[in-house]
Amino acid sequence: MTLRQAQGHRPLQPAVEARELTRRFGSFTAVDRVSFEVERGEIFGYLGANGAGKSTTIRMLTGLLTPTAGSGRVAGHDLARDPEAVKASIGYMSQKFSLYLDLPVRENLAFFGGAYGLEGKELEARADEVLALADLRTLGNTTTGELPGGLRQRLALACAILHRPEIVFLDEPTAGVDPVARRTFWRIIRDLARGGTTVFVTTHYLDEAEYCARIGLMVDGRLVALDTPAGLKRTWVPEQVLVVRGRELRGAAAALSGRAGVRNVIPFGAGLHLRTEPGSLAPEEARRLLTEAGASEVSVEPAEPSLEDVFLAVVGNSHA
Amino acid sequence: MRERGGQILGSERLRRSLIRVGAMAGKETLHILRDPRTLYLALVMPVLMLFLFGYGVSFDLDRIPVAISDLDRTEASRALVRTVTGSHELVSAGEADAAEADRLFRRGRVAAMLVIPSQYGEKLARRERVSLQLLVDGSDVVVANQVLSKADALVRAETRRLASVELAGPGAAAAPLQVKLWTRYNPASLSALFMVPGLAAYILAITAVLLTALTVAGEWERGSMEQLFASPVGRLEIMLGKLAPYLALGMLELLLVVAFGAAVFDVPVRGSLTLFLVIGFFFLVGMLGQGLLISILTKNQLVATQAGTISSLLPSLLLSGMVFPVENMPWPLQLLSRVIPARYLVHALRGILLKGNGLAALWPDLLAVAVFAVLIVAFSAARFPRRLA
Amino acid sequence: MSSLRRPSARVQLAAVFRKEVRQTVRDRRMMFMLIAAPLLQTVVFGFAADFTVDRIPTVVLDQDGTDVSRLHARRLLADGTLRRVGDVEGPAAADAELDAGRAAAAVILPRRLAADLAAGRPAEVQVVLDGTDPNRSVVAGATAAQYFGQVGERMSREKLSAAGIAPPAQLVLTPRISYNPTVVSPPYMVPGIAALLLLVVTTIVTAMGLAREREMGTLEQVMVTPIRPTVLLFGKIAPYVVFGFVDVMLLVVVGTWLFGVPIRGPLPVLVTGTLLYLLTTLGVGLLISTISATQQQSFLAGFLFMMPAVLLSGVMSPIRSMPGWLQAITWVNPVRHYAEVMRSCLLRGAGFADLAVPMAALAIIGGVVFAAAVLRFRTRLG
Repeated sequence: MTLRQAQGHRPLQPAVEARELTRRFGSFTAVDRVSFEVERGEIFGYLGANGAGKSTTIRMLTGLLTPTAGSGRVAGHDLARDPEAVKASIGYMSQKFSLYLDLPVRENLAFFGGAYGLEGKELEARADEVLALADLRTLGNTTTGELPGGLRQRLALACAILHRPEIVFLDEPTAGVDPVARRTFWRIIRDLARGGTTVFVTTHYLDEAEYCARIGLMVDGRLVALDTPAGLKRTWVPEQVLVVRGRELRGAAAALSGRAGVRNVIPFGAGLHLRTEPGSLAPEEARRLLTEAGASEVSVEPAEPSLEDVFLAVVGNSHA
Repeated sequence: MRERGGQILGSERLRRSLIRVGAMAGKETLHILRDPRTLYLALVMPVLMLFLFGYGVSFDLDRIPVAISDLDRTEASRALVRTVTGSHELVSAGEADAAEADRLFRRGRVAAMLVIPSQYGEKLARRERVSLQLLVDGSDVVVANQVLSKADALVRAETRRLASVELAGPGAAAAPLQVKLWTRYNPASLSALFMVPGLAAYILAITAVLLTALTVAGEWERGSMEQLFASPVGRLEIMLGKLAPYLALGMLELLLVVAFGAAVFDVPVRGSLTLFLVIGFFFLVGMLGQGLLISILTKNQLVATQAGTISSLLPSLLLSGMVFPVENMPWPLQLLSRVIPARYLVHALRGILLKGNGLAALWPDLLAVAVFAVLIVAFSAARFPRRLA
Repeated sequence: MSSLRRPSARVQLAAVFRKEVRQTVRDRRMMFMLIAAPLLQTVVFGFAADFTVDRIPTVVLDQDGTDVSRLHARRLLADGTLRRVGDVEGPAAADAELDAGRAAAAVILPRRLAADLAAGRPAEVQVVLDGTDPNRSVVAGATAAQYFGQVGERMSREKLSAAGIAPPAQLVLTPRISYNPTVVSPPYMVPGIAALLLLVVTTIVTAMGLAREREMGTLEQVMVTPIRPTVLLFGKIAPYVVFGFVDVMLLVVVGTWLFGVPIRGPLPVLVTGTLLYLLTTLGVGLLISTISATQQQSFLAGFLFMMPAVLLSGVMSPIRSMPGWLQAITWVNPVRHYAEVMRSCLLRGAGFADLAVPMAALAIIGGVVFAAAVLRFRTRLG
């Protein structure tokens, strides 16, 4: 059951439908029978390691690549039969920055606007709007190549939404961008979604993935998980997670490994993540054990499982 | 290199330097071997080009079409027409009216029209002076010159023939003054012997500039330049290392082209092969250096290729003496031609291959290409950026 | 809400055109190479390309040393075709001059020349020629043959008259040269050079254009928009049509002003011919860019097209001198046809009717090439 159905809405046609979408390059299968649906107005996240097939999936959905097998509908248009109609209804931001570096900001907007049929006053007004939306108002005449990374990404997003598309596909839009800029970017994405635009976004940053309504996880070309963040955590990290911080933990960690109820002891940053069966190990108990084993300044706190935990669990499971 | 205890010997420095150059050259060679297109460009294309152009670029005009306007229509005029069009040099393009000459010229159908006046036969019989009009399309300079010269010779031949028919006596026996022509080095006056050395130099010049103009500029764009800067390789070492494999390719190309020219077009090789190789070597260094310099200065593949094309394609063609003799050019262009290395190679190749010239005659050419090579490499090394900005 | 209608092709074309122009004009080096360089090269090459063979360096070996021999030597060299660069003392010295390249011809007047001529005995003048440059050697030989031939004829007639026999008729060839009475090279070369320069300027740039966008990554972003393939291709070449026309105008002006190239033909012919030619060369560039993956590949392909196109175009050397099979091949060379159109129109005043064949050839080549480019280009990655 989809979110909107759960909320009691009549089922409308989904914004994106993928059915057994497959893409092979020679003998290599990049995308293997992927099926999902994305609701209108949803922020849909797509996660996976490098080479898992995320970009290839997006390229098929945007009409850039022909699927080897399977079918899809985007904005109500069939991918195989009507790719041009699909292109007219979507916006796309590619992983590699793909605007013209040697043109000023406004010229890039003018070009891409014209590509979608905008001209004259309508183009001007809309360009002003997106510049405001992307917080680039004063930079109209700056050469695109001179913009720092974060601003470039905002400009790319601005170009993608010039024609008010129903759906935008963003492929790693915040890659290489600093945390503050990333926050701003996601603010813009949420504003877009609130306005009714469906957002299909891939990302490496798992903290960003929390903003998504639902997340799909790809491993080696297959879609291995699809759910809301909460649902994913419930399914994949059912254990309790304890976050351990302190000194000399590595040695002491062995003391916990064998303990009953401790599923996993994973080094995490400078500390540890303990995955335990719920209720089997109290934080205090863990602290005592670690200190006895030689660690110091130990603090143990229960934590919400993060999507990172989910990711590690999913990938670990797939490769097991 | 910090000194340790004593001095690092100059020869040790040199050895290390050479090792680095060798490493760069090795890397560049691997690049080339992995990309067969470069080999194709350097070895196959030049031979194909020589073949095409050796046949295509010539000034041996045969069978030039001439229209005939015979206003006399006697046996005498027909005899004249037979003489004029009987050889392979001019051919009859049919009968036409003098008034149509312009139209025929405009359509490029004929190069000239011979107008035989209406009383030709009579005047001949009366032993008068007859004027034959030759309408010539002057817009095509090469053909026009040849038509004028050939037609003149043919008409004089007809005069002599008439004279020998008329006066079958001792008076007409032999012309009092004969001219004997001896053509050395190229007795059959074939364009190919003239063109092939020039074409070889031309093709070499072009491919050399092309090969290198693409390398460095491409690396700037791809970003691999940055890695070079982080390493201890010096600028001159980078340059020499990059040039070395293309130099080897170029020498191979030179040998191939000349061998092919000799085989297909019967271009002789009368002079010293060593001198030929030495001059070719310096020439290549210079042209490769030119390509390298262009790519260093432009840092942009599109601009580099445009600049490389513009600086090598037409200048080498027009100012090297390959087609047009340099001595006949206005002096500013003669000066300009002095900075075009192709000029010296063309001159040297012709000298060595056709005339058997040696160092005594060709040392100025050798000096010129050597100087150009050294200057270009030095300039390139100096302009080679040591930092990103 | 996105537009349900297809975006207008006109708007898309305008957008592509504008972007291309902006990009090119902003790069000063490109502008230099597109406009200034061709102009410069026309000036330089107009002066360099001279087919007139004259001032052939000649040495004289006068073995007779009489007034008669000296007179003949002077007269032979009078008109400037042969240029006297010195006198030599013997055949070996003459050979040495030829070997060294200091002379291209050596005229050897034999001993007892004056005496033989006066006595009515046959005499033989020898001319040794450096055959390395057959243009020069043939002209030098022909000049000597013509001069001494005329002398001989005159002597024959005098002898016959003296013997009371009427000399036979004399045929005199009177040339009347159209369009270029003094047969100078620039009017012939400059239009041809213009054709070459246009080729060099337009082909490479368009060949590399798409490949460049592919390498930079912008092509992907363009392909995801609803821009139609034909619109993209036309938009990419349109600015170069404009630049090409600007170039042609400038070159014709320079040709007229500096080199005296006439403009005898109708302007519409020039315009149409240029347009067809540009479409062809740009079309070739486009076709190359649709089949190349990288800039390097596209440049090489473009260049390999240009080299034969330049040399086998009839600009440098006459097409008539090529073997039959090669002449046939030149029919697909757009440079050949455009050079023909330019020369014929500017110098001979040819009109549409006269130039129907080359124009048609250009149109066909251009059409085929363009169609191929459009067919090959897909707004898809795979």
